[in-house]
Amino acid sequence: MEEENGLMMRVTGLKKYYGEVHAVDGISFAIPRASVFTILGPNGAGKTTTLEILEGIREPDAGEIEVFGMQLKKVTRAVKERMGVLLQDGNFEPYLKVKEVVRLFASFFMKALPTEEVLTRVALQEKTNAYVKTLSGGQLQRLAVGVALVNDPDLIFLDEPTTGLDPQARRNMWSIITDLRDQGKTIILTTHYMEEAEALSDRVCIMDYGTIIAKGSPRELTSRLGQETIIEFNTSSLSTDDLAQLESYGKTAREDGEIVTVETENLVHTMEQMLAWSREREIPLTNMTVRQPNLEDVFLLLTGRRLRE
Amino acid sequence: MRGILRIAAGHLFTAFRERVTLFWFLIFPVFLLAILTLIFGNMGQEGEISFAISVVNLESNTAGPVDFAAIVEGVFEETGTASEEGKEPLFTLTHPSDGEDLEEFLAREKEALRLGHRAAVIVIPEGFNQELLERMMRSSSSPSGNGALTIYINEGSAASEMATSIIEQILAGVDREILTHIGHFQEEEAIPSETLWVGSGGEELSYVDFLLPGVILMGFFVNGLFGVPGSILFARDRRVLRRYWVTPLTVPHYLAGFSLGHLTLCLIQFVLILVLGRFAFGATIKFAEPMPILFLLLGAVTFLAFGFFIASVAKTANAGMASANILNMPMMFLGGLFFPIGGLPTFLKVIVYANPVTYLAEGLRMSLGVQGETFSIPLTLAVPVGWIAFCIFVASRRLSWDVK
Repeated sequence: MEEENGLMMRVTGLKKYYGEVHAVDGISFAIPRASVFTILGPNGAGKTTTLEILEGIREPDAGEIEVFGMQLKKVTRAVKERMGVLLQDGNFEPYLKVKEVVRLFASFFMKALPTEEVLTRVALQEKTNAYVKTLSGGQLQRLAVGVALVNDPDLIFLDEPTTGLDPQARRNMWSIITDLRDQGKTIILTTHYMEEAEALSDRVCIMDYGTIIAKGSPRELTSRLGQETIIEFNTSSLSTDDLAQLESYGKTAREDGEIVTVETENLVHTMEQMLAWSREREIPLTNMTVRQPNLEDVFLLLTGRRLRE
Repeated sequence: MRGILRIAAGHLFTAFRERVTLFWFLIFPVFLLAILTLIFGNMGQEGEISFAISVVNLESNTAGPVDFAAIVEGVFEETGTASEEGKEPLFTLTHPSDGEDLEEFLAREKEALRLGHRAAVIVIPEGFNQELLERMMRSSSSPSGNGALTIYINEGSAASEMATSIIEQILAGVDREILTHIGHFQEEEAIPSETLWVGSGGEELSYVDFLLPGVILMGFFVNGLFGVPGSILFARDRRVLRRYWVTPLTVPHYLAGFSLGHLTLCLIQFVLILVLGRFAFGATIKFAEPMPILFLLLGAVTFLAFGFFIASVAKTANAGMASANILNMPMMFLGGLFFPIGGLPTFLKVIVYANPVTYLAEGLRMSLGVQGETFSIPLTLAVPVGWIAFCIFVASRRLSWDVK
């Protein structure tokens, strides 16, 4: 399969149930080689369970996994030799040094990269002799990525790699991920940051309640919303009449907490009408922004909810 | 194999860098040995075990040809005197004060025995001289029952049991001397015998020699029962083990690496205690024989296996520590380490005979020559080996990388 059609992985009818809860409910997707495949969804959508099945941590109740040209019921040791995994919530022994952690994990694989090379890839050369307990959150996450790369894997799982990181550390992580893709690695990423999915992904699958509700490239998914432009502003509360008035200026209008969103195909005309309405009704258009639709809007369109609700 | 060695090295590095682990693994046993030896070993000077006893001589008829009561009393007086300056005598004797009523003194000493302040109270009764004389005249060994020497002991006290054994040996010696003296016993007809200390090169064993094997075993016990599940379960709770899960490392490989690291720590602990015992407190006991080494290794592996067992059945680190505490009490106190096990009720004896500590303590003491043989060597080896097999079997099947 791998050689024939350039696919690294194909998942068919994957299911995982916990009693009445359908954590993963018959999902299927295919991942091309040398690409970033992102599973996007809110907390509890089934992203991590899906990843844990593919990583070999959990066994599926049903479904088939094809990876490296092999059809598997569950992930074997031989497959793990070619995989690298960044877990969402793993830790390291706090009293080990950075280089000792890398050497420890390198020893678990038949083939491993030199420690220096691993630390260079994740920009941790300066911290070679530092104890794990002295590392910052961003450095710890980079070490975790380094450990996931220690066997020079062909397939890399990154489960929410930027959660909890500051903006600078997040940008650094994005840079590492795009470098890996450029080196020909296949990356499976989960995130609940839509801007991260848009910036990094070649293909995205959006999950909700254990099922895939949309999949494709970020451009394909956002193009579902047509040519609309989105205008957003903050306000305390609008009356039903106000919201109906705003809707008449564009294509749709909705209130989500303090955020009011208006979609329009004619930006100039809608903006003129909204400014006049604001003056007349004495309702300020606080923090008004104008932007193109993104994956968050796709999720909103498909589910009626925001990703981070 | 590389993975096993790296896990062992990681375990050692962590233990040496983490102060709490370092304290319990290395400092505490050494500290315990030092404290116990300094308190009970006559401040580190060469001494022997000393028992507090009383000899109450109620014999008033001293008019006969021989005052046997005075001879017996004299023998114990002699054992109550140190042979060398700075050395503890075998017995510390308590005497009635001048003019004190002997019955009152006896009653007071019995109370002291009950409270554990005396190891034994020896009473030479009224009529003792006459009884002994009559027995000699009849050349018979059947005592009349009147005037028999009485030894009071405290049933629950290990010191009492040890003191009684020594007192009986002394009395047998006195008896033999008297029989020889009156011509009823020929020395050359006696069964030849000689008492030698095994394992100490003929030197007398000091208190630290008695203490050392116990402290070493106790160190291994604490390391295994508390240290092993503590390390594994806290690592699991902190999601450290989870990272191993997604690598080709298997549970048996992890356990092998952990075991190697743990046994190396036990070896370091053993060497430290031994060096301290030998050079600071003058221990003479020798472990460098195949059997003591075998029992030490067996002890370390048995307690390690129990640690694995706890780690594999406990859901959290706190539950693991609670389980270790539950096992700690019966294993530690019903293994013959601190209390004699002879007088225990049957249901407790079941625990004693199932307890690997019973066999390990017995086997180690036996191989070092500080205790006689109660169980056969194959049995002392088989029971701990059986427990090891059971615990490893359960751990290799049940130990989980992640919190369930």
